Amino acid sequence: MILLPNDALDRLQDGCKSIADRCNSLGITSWEIVASQSYGHQIDIEGGKISLAAGGGEGGYGIRILEDGKFGFAYLVDVNSADKAINSALSIARMSPSIDGFVLPYEQSAKQVSGLYDKSIIEMDSEDLLTQADAIISEVASLDKRAIVTGGGIGVSANASSILTSEGIESGGITTSHGVGVQVSIEEDEQLTSSWQSNSSRSKLIQVPNCVSRAVDWAKLTRDPIKIDSSLDESPVLMTSEGFSPLFSVVVPNAIRGDKLARAESFWSGKMNQSVIAKDLNLVDDATIVGGRSSGSRDGEGVPTRCNSLIKSGKLVGSLWSTRDAAQQIAEGRIDIAKTTGSAIRSGHQSPPISGCSNLFLTSSNKSYDLDGLLQEMNEGYVVNSVMGAHTANPTSGDFSVTTSSILRVENGEIIGSIKQAGLSGNMAKALTEGVILGDNVRPQGSYSSGTMYVPNVLISQGLRVNPA
Amino acid sequence: MVIAKSPDSDITGRSHRYLDVDKINKSLDKVTSNGASYAEVRLVAYTDYSVAMRDGKLERAIPGQEIGATIRVLADGAWGVHSTTDIASLEQQMNPTLKLAQSVAARRSPKDRPIKLAEVPIIEDSIHWTPKKDVRNTELSERLEHMKLLNSSASGHDNIVSVTCGWHDENIHTEFLSSEGMNRTWSFQRSLINGMVTARDGSEVVSYRTRFGGEGGLELIESCDINELGNNAKVSALRLLKAKRAPSGKMPLVADRDLTGVYIHEALGHPCEADLVAAGDSCLDGKLGQKIGSDIVTVIDDPKIRGGYGAHPIDDEGLDTTEKCLIKNGILTEYLNHRETAEHFGIKPNAGARAQDGLHHPLVRMSNTLIHGGTHADLDELVEDIEYGVYACGSRGGQVDTGRGSFQFAAQEAWLIENGEITSPLKDVSVSGLTLQILKDVDGLTKDSRLAAPGFCGKGQTVPVGDGGPIMRISEALVG
Repeated sequence: MILLPNDALDRLQDGCKSIADRCNSLGITSWEIVASQSYGHQIDIEGGKISLAAGGGEGGYGIRILEDGKFGFAYLVDVNSADKAINSALSIARMSPSIDGFVLPYEQSAKQVSGLYDKSIIEMDSEDLLTQADAIISEVASLDKRAIVTGGGIGVSANASSILTSEGIESGGITTSHGVGVQVSIEEDEQLTSSWQSNSSRSKLIQVPNCVSRAVDWAKLTRDPIKIDSSLDESPVLMTSEGFSPLFSVVVPNAIRGDKLARAESFWSGKMNQSVIAKDLNLVDDATIVGGRSSGSRDGEGVPTRCNSLIKSGKLVGSLWSTRDAAQQIAEGRIDIAKTTGSAIRSGHQSPPISGCSNLFLTSSNKSYDLDGLLQEMNEGYVVNSVMGAHTANPTSGDFSVTTSSILRVENGEIIGSIKQAGLSGNMAKALTEGVILGDNVRPQGSYSSGTMYVPNVLISQGLRVNPA
Repeated sequence: MVIAKSPDSDITGRSHRYLDVDKINKSLDKVTSNGASYAEVRLVAYTDYSVAMRDGKLERAIPGQEIGATIRVLADGAWGVHSTTDIASLEQQMNPTLKLAQSVAARRSPKDRPIKLAEVPIIEDSIHWTPKKDVRNTELSERLEHMKLLNSSASGHDNIVSVTCGWHDENIHTEFLSSEGMNRTWSFQRSLINGMVTARDGSEVVSYRTRFGGEGGLELIESCDINELGNNAKVSALRLLKAKRAPSGKMPLVADRDLTGVYIHEALGHPCEADLVAAGDSCLDGKLGQKIGSDIVTVIDDPKIRGGYGAHPIDDEGLDTTEKCLIKNGILTEYLNHRETAEHFGIKPNAGARAQDGLHHPLVRMSNTLIHGGTHADLDELVEDIEYGVYACGSRGGQVDTGRGSFQFAAQEAWLIENGEITSPLKDVSVSGLTLQILKDVDGLTKDSRLAAPGFCGKGQTVPVGDGGPIMRISEALVG
């Protein structure tokens, strides 16, 4: 099956123009049409074997209409039903509150971001993916004959997207992705251990990615748990990139949104230009990096993307804004100055843009360490490689209380064994305020559309409580 | 590419068909004559409406329409699947999907058991769960009235910094045709209203979420005491500002029906899904007929509980839905299954197949999952003999590792129990445990069991679910 028709982008852009023509003919002067169409192949693996092969495509159009600072939105799948969607969006706009100063962004030239498209992915077919899936299953068996892939799979996708606005923005492009996710389990002597690991890239994954061997390693590392004194409370914790990113992604992107800061809905509200985390730490959101999973030359409303410094040397120095959120917070008097930072995100054609992150980097000006170095620095504590319930963290307060079955005990700088299960709780903002040491190995985690976390292994020395079961 | 025909909100869903039945049936016949042992086409057309309001002002309203169809072809004991929004292309995608299945089959080793499907009755009919008040006839202004009421009841205190309200309603129309002759259409609606209250006192900032909804039309929202819903959320948010951090360690836990529902969904429901059992990823593998819980634990999953957020008349393999009894008096009696896993385990199909939408293939999923009621009169009776423990309420979600049988769920708010009395409010309470241990530790249930707030379940695909039960006591749980 063909992954992407040759004329996919042309057809999308023609559809946008057709809807735009309808807007113009209906006398609407301020409009934005977005379109997306994705295609993919996917192989599922269950119980150590390939369970199914799937393919297909989906897409549609979104229409945002602005009238006197009021906006309405509707989405549709069929260009021929555009009039109905346009009228819906218009009637919604007329019922919406007006935001003084809110206009659609104007055209600005945007620098192309490379590395988001790999022709060799487009050329892959289901047979190629089946071969890769077989290789993953074989690799797991070769690393440990007890280990099997109990779930997961491999997939490729191509996404064509387009934006056309009344303000002269006309842009479109194709991105590709190739991803692997595996749940590896080892069951022996009535003991089952498992680990989920994944890897994804805009470019073709040529060989079996190392997430597969990591999954086997962690399924092995967590076997034969030891008993430890459960009275220990606050403790240093070394969270791997995979373990930390899910918690970080629930809490931090929310806290650095401009509208959340302005509305006092962020734990960092009112702290602009103040120290909020350890002074060696920096937080940067950069949608322009080559091959970045959430990179793009323009944001979700067509504004050129850029690198936004958010926390510099521990001080909060910036925030993320879309056009509407910036105008609204000024109009409602919560902030004097705000403008788009090229940070409008949208989950496809079905939603209007909101403020959000792209590729979010946590870095340190201090020396970074490899895993052994971090263990030596920690001396005594725990290594956590994944948590259950990261989505239950409270993005407003930064508090979290999660569970892990992928936790190792460290004494005298060395791993002495695994623990069957433990609770892990704390507050993200407080945990990052001091005694944080970063590793040297970033493994990006997260969603292409709503933000990718570029967070390394993180040693947190204070503020986390571990409660072994 | 993008579809050629879109859902029309003027259509009632009773007689209109998006699929050309004759043409699709011919292509299903052809693909079986070319080597498929089974083939099906399932089309889902949605019309939906989402609204967001912040502090009483309309933030966004999104009317939408979606259509998608999935072809599944079983050949030589393996599946090929194709999903698309391009309904006009379905016939031409049938043979490529057959080839996909044959490619998978060719790579299987001879020792791999070929996939077969359990026999089911072949039905041709239409079932439409017609709501009293069709959501598609609801004006935006009417939706906003309900949301404004929620906003006003949740607002009005100096420490409340914002109230956001949400609305989502949808009409779901499904058509199902199979090479076996199944020809069914069904439709139903869901409606939901929710709110989130954020409160702040100095540097302390907290939030509380509330939600009401289920299967049904506007009448469902009209049956809700929205004033009470909003006011309760406000009171809870303000209480969280003063709440202390929860104690850690093993202790007795009393859970309200929201948390009881999430507990039974995570701890038992997921490990009962037969596709996970067959994949070797369930702690309940091989335990059918065994005692895994205390005598008072009886658990059902029932898609036919009208009004439940997980209610649906027909599963996504075209089977009439039915009540499943997962545990009866502590004994594991049934896995949730679909046709493939029913055949795999040699058990009766129980219509547990659900897909997120027309663009996803069906997996084994829960619907409305409940623990039956017990013998305790009320909350007071459950806590009266607890010396030190936690009473936890409201759900912030949960997660399970089905293979290891470990789970976690988080409460929105909680109280300390001291000497049989509910005392100080607590925040950030989460509970974790092991399925096979904690089911045995359920030692008290109140009499009244019913569904709690609607929820969503993720398993690669997201589906709406209803969970609930009575107020439940667990003798020992790991509280974090």
